[in-house]
Amino acid sequence: MPFALLNLRRLATPTAVAALLPLAAALATLLPANAAQAQTAIEADLARRLDLLAAEVQRLQAQLREVQQQQAAPPAAAVVAVPGAAAAPASTPASAQASAQASTAASTMPPAEPATVLSSYGEINLNRPRKASQNSQADLRRFVLGYQHRIDEQTRVVAELEVEHAVASATDAGEVALEQAYVEHQITPTWGVRAGLFLMPMGLLNENHEPTAFFGVERNFVETAIIPSTWREGGVQAIGRFDNGLTLQAGVSTGFDLNKWDATSTEGAEAPLRSIHQELALAKARSLALFGALNWRGVPGLLVGAGLFSGGAGQGQTAAPSRVTLWDVHARWTPGRWDLSALYSRGVIGNTAVLNARLVGSATLIPASFDGGYLQAGYALWQQGRYKLTPFARWERFNTTRSYADLGPGLTPTAGRGQRVATLGANFDLAPGVVLKADVQRFQHNPDADRSSVGLGWSF
Amino acid sequence: MRAMISLSALALLPASAFAVDYLSVEQAAQAMFGDADRFEQRELVLDAAQLQALAAAGVAGRSARWPVRLAWQGKRLLGLVVVDAVVGKFELISYAVGIGLDGSIKQVDILSYRESHGHEIRLPAWRRQFVGKTVAAPLRVGDDIANISGATLSCSHVTDGVRRIVAVVDLARRSGQLPA
Repeated sequence: MPFALLNLRRLATPTAVAALLPLAAALATLLPANAAQAQTAIEADLARRLDLLAAEVQRLQAQLREVQQQQAAPPAAAVVAVPGAAAAPASTPASAQASAQASTAASTMPPAEPATVLSSYGEINLNRPRKASQNSQADLRRFVLGYQHRIDEQTRVVAELEVEHAVASATDAGEVALEQAYVEHQITPTWGVRAGLFLMPMGLLNENHEPTAFFGVERNFVETAIIPSTWREGGVQAIGRFDNGLTLQAGVSTGFDLNKWDATSTEGAEAPLRSIHQELALAKARSLALFGALNWRGVPGLLVGAGLFSGGAGQGQTAAPSRVTLWDVHARWTPGRWDLSALYSRGVIGNTAVLNARLVGSATLIPASFDGGYLQAGYALWQQGRYKLTPFARWERFNTTRSYADLGPGLTPTAGRGQRVATLGANFDLAPGVVLKADVQRFQHNPDADRSSVGLGWSF
Repeated sequence: MRAMISLSALALLPASAFAVDYLSVEQAAQAMFGDADRFEQRELVLDAAQLQALAAAGVAGRSARWPVRLAWQGKRLLGLVVVDAVVGKFELISYAVGIGLDGSIKQVDILSYRESHGHEIRLPAWRRQFVGKTVAAPLRVGDDIANISGATLSCSHVTDGVRRIVAVVDLARRSGQLPA
């Protein structure tokens, strides 16, 4: 052989180890206790070899125990694992070697693969208004526990349970909610079907909303006020993943409920769709919606995509039928240390003239349209080992009341002038899945809202 | 409705059409070293000092034993193939790395991928980023390897795995287990 390779698999058999043990013991009785007592070079060499042999026997014994433990391991379905940066124990090279010797179909399936994987994320934020520090607030914004359980090779169940604001009770502001609860079935390598309560494929943040996945202590305004992240609906969707980098999602789902519009509250003006979402909680399902999203990731580091949602929101119970339509276009590019993204989204609510006619005089009428967009740039300025510091800047413009349907002179509300927000901050990755954040935000048309924030987030 | 009809049609497709294993180890090895007439399974073994050297270089060694497949053309060694698996976000990702005698990456292939997001790491465009890189390269997402938006964990963990394999093979070459 051109070079030496030690074939341990052949040596590390119980027979081989058993044969080596008495040999080592016999040598030990024939030689002095240690090499220091040896009088000749030959004896010293023999003593050194004995030490090496004894060490080798110990190592083989340890490997034998390891093999025996692996053989006695429980079946895959009983294994529960938590994902992490390192591979699961089942994915050791030893298992890869075993799989290499198996049949073609099973050769890439390491044994004892976990069927159930737990996940979690959370974020704790502190906001301090620049001009009203007495209103500073610290909050465990959300804590989420989730799991994915693989029922068989083609079918998995995914669920996430969320607690917002730490305590949920009759006298606290907290909320407990299921963020996701769906079954996904892969039909072919390209096509899968997802059914249940799932996140809507819209924008950059909604489906990837863990604190480690976005810049800034708080989620951006466009993807909370215009796209009501974390936005989920009940329904069924098909997911196609193509070899040209395209991912297509399309389906039918529950939609919004305009009967929930509270004209006496300002919530509708802050985030129109968030005030009428249903989240599959006894959701009115008279009017369903169609949605679709197309995302292309054919070039490494680049994502270009768009989403569209349109569905009835009157649910057969409003004075006139009404449709909510929301769409977005987005792009993200991560060349080297840069992380650049841009997004624009616009929503319209139909027949609001009829719906608002009954609400004239109230504080908050239903807008006919709303929109927003942002530009964002981050740069990994410093990295050492697992630590990474990424300063970022984001500029947003959003208007939750861009237009109102004409109700006649003196009755039609004045369209809002929108808000422009500049955010400057940094994410500091403390460890894989743990991030510290800090930022300052300036509101162009509402300086009283200026604030600085710090946060801690994790996700695994 | 059209959407419902399409979904119904999809549900009628045979389940046997599904497969998460895109390549077998044998297929990947043959694709990486097309001139090879045989592959020999051997094992690289790292001692404690080598594992410590890996750790000092910022690479988690994970194991002292690394099965490899040596690609032979007659009596000429062409390179080697290392098969490994890492956890993406929820699922195991099996992949193979082909390394030439000079220690540079010849090819990376994804053997199986089952995550809901990030299937784009299977695309040649993403895998090509590794080709030609050696232990001297950063081999880090966000540095010389571009991320896939929405699949950061899969990208990072596969990249970390490739970096580990390249480092292990480099140590083996320097210790005489493989030709330097």
